[in-house]
Amino acid sequence: MLETVAQAVINGLLIGGIYALVSIGVTLIFGVVKIVNFAQGEFVMIGMYISFFLATYYGIDPLISLAVSMPALFLVGVLLQHFLIRRVLGLGDMPQIFLTFALSLLLMNLALMLFTANYRTVHTWYSDEAFHLGALYVPLAKLVAFILAMALSGILWVFLHTTDLGKAMRAAAQNPEVAMLMGINPNRVFAVATGVSLALAGAAGSLLMPFYPASPTAGQVFVLMAFVAVVLGTLGNIKGALVASLMMGIAESLGIQFVGADSGLIVVFAMLLLTLAFRPSGLAGGGAR
Amino acid sequence: MWGLRLSGVLWLSLLAVVLLVLPLVVTSRFAIDIFIRILLFAFIGVAWNLMGGYAKQLSLGHAAYFGLGAYTSTILQIKFGISPWIGMIAGGVVAMLASLPIGALCFRLRGPYFAIATIATAQVLMLLFLKFRDFAWGAEGTTIPNLGSSPLMMQFEAKAPYYYIVLGMLVLGLAITYRIERSWMGFYLVAIGEDEDAAEAVGVNAPQVKRNIYMISAFLTALAGTFYVQYIYFIDPNTAFNFSISVEAALVSIVGGIGTLWGPVIGTVLLETTSALLQSWLGSGLGGVQLTVYSLILITVILWRPTGLLGVFTDAYNWIVRAPPAGKAALDG
Repeated sequence: MLETVAQAVINGLLIGGIYALVSIGVTLIFGVVKIVNFAQGEFVMIGMYISFFLATYYGIDPLISLAVSMPALFLVGVLLQHFLIRRVLGLGDMPQIFLTFALSLLLMNLALMLFTANYRTVHTWYSDEAFHLGALYVPLAKLVAFILAMALSGILWVFLHTTDLGKAMRAAAQNPEVAMLMGINPNRVFAVATGVSLALAGAAGSLLMPFYPASPTAGQVFVLMAFVAVVLGTLGNIKGALVASLMMGIAESLGIQFVGADSGLIVVFAMLLLTLAFRPSGLAGGGAR
Repeated sequence: MWGLRLSGVLWLSLLAVVLLVLPLVVTSRFAIDIFIRILLFAFIGVAWNLMGGYAKQLSLGHAAYFGLGAYTSTILQIKFGISPWIGMIAGGVVAMLASLPIGALCFRLRGPYFAIATIATAQVLMLLFLKFRDFAWGAEGTTIPNLGSSPLMMQFEAKAPYYYIVLGMLVLGLAITYRIERSWMGFYLVAIGEDEDAAEAVGVNAPQVKRNIYMISAFLTALAGTFYVQYIYFIDPNTAFNFSISVEAALVSIVGGIGTLWGPVIGTVLLETTSALLQSWLGSGLGGVQLTVYSLILITVILWRPTGLLGVFTDAYNWIVRAPPAGKAALDG
């Protein structure tokens, strides 16, 4: 019994690392640009396909194609901010929600047209490797993904706290007007924030590829998890999103273990609804404008 | 004044005649099927628009009420032999009651997080119905027993009666919207949609108004759910609580004109016609085309005309008949 619980916790924690990359991306855009990016999951999906095609046609390991997917999605993020998101800032909820929502539908269905609904997998030498901690089983691919996800989160934290651009982003998140008065160019900061956020989504996609199949709808689960994590972990707060993502990975895994294979999401959504019911004060403040 | 009103009545009666005669003239089952889809989604859009359009509470979880309506009437019919006509009302009441706790939770959040919480509620309901194997047939779903032609059980061999039922539902939805638009509640809703805090500051009881409009919206959406399962003779959690129902409800309203009486109707006609044309050109083989086109239309509308396409049409109409500017017409009327 104890071992089953421990095994479920390990599985959940490892996948929680990937959820964290997606959640941190969502919370970063929300904190700085004040936009909820409903298409974040589709950028995870794009990262997966980039790694899939590089692995299939050029034999490049998904962990190495991180060096392609992250810059590519950073660029996409800058363009997205410049050509689309910038035009709906300050226009109220409806355009802001439905622009990224439409983008999510568009990318998902374009992927369906171009790549079909087939599941695509990449098999690496470490995909089936695992090592044992006593009776517990730690899959190598997931462990590597977890460690790299945590490393990327750490690098982001250092970037936000030590570089001028990072500090400018935090300043713009806290108070855009004052940040502008201090000579910070909001458009540049917004573009970098969206770029970094999408680069994290791309990284999540590449890291998933050795053990998770790519499909046009693959990003959906991750974005749902990210939304719940971002609400639980106080909006715009990167550490909160990280901790909440790991917790949700564990909760989902325990749900699958003890309630049933299709119950992971029920547990996660129930967590969201229960939190809203019993601890709304900490959350409503962030949800409101 | 008289001229304006008279032409409004004239247009409406013309529209009514065309809509009533349509199934007599058009006999192709395929075409009537498309008309029924248009009327059904226009009705769902109208129900969504009451809350999402006027009060700007952008729900992405209306499939919850569609599914509850569908399941209530089906369970009553198959397990207790109760007519779907009664089941339809019962489904509406169940949806209304369900909207109370769901609203109590979700209305604590605003804007995008309200939308996300509503997605979660619809998904939870779908997952629960997937689990209820004994009570509601689980994932396999069930077919509705076909009784042939049985008007009392809302079953018909021809398609035309379904057409008239859903047309009646749409008229009901539009009449309710029309009444609410001109009542105090309508003004409260618009005030909440513009700025909830300001509305509360001037004395609007926002939580109560939102709760009431959510109940009305849920009730109407549930009627659509009952109609739909009666029409396709099949129900499973994935049909009844499908996310695309929530999406389409919001989409048709936004494309047509959010917070307007005719917006959802215009939006549905446009989107469903596009989708039918795409299907006849490309066949149904190429998956994803329909939603790709929908999302491109949505992005265009948001960037170019966030108030919806209804405004474009009225502008064009005014330009063609060279009516006086809207400001003057309002003064006269």
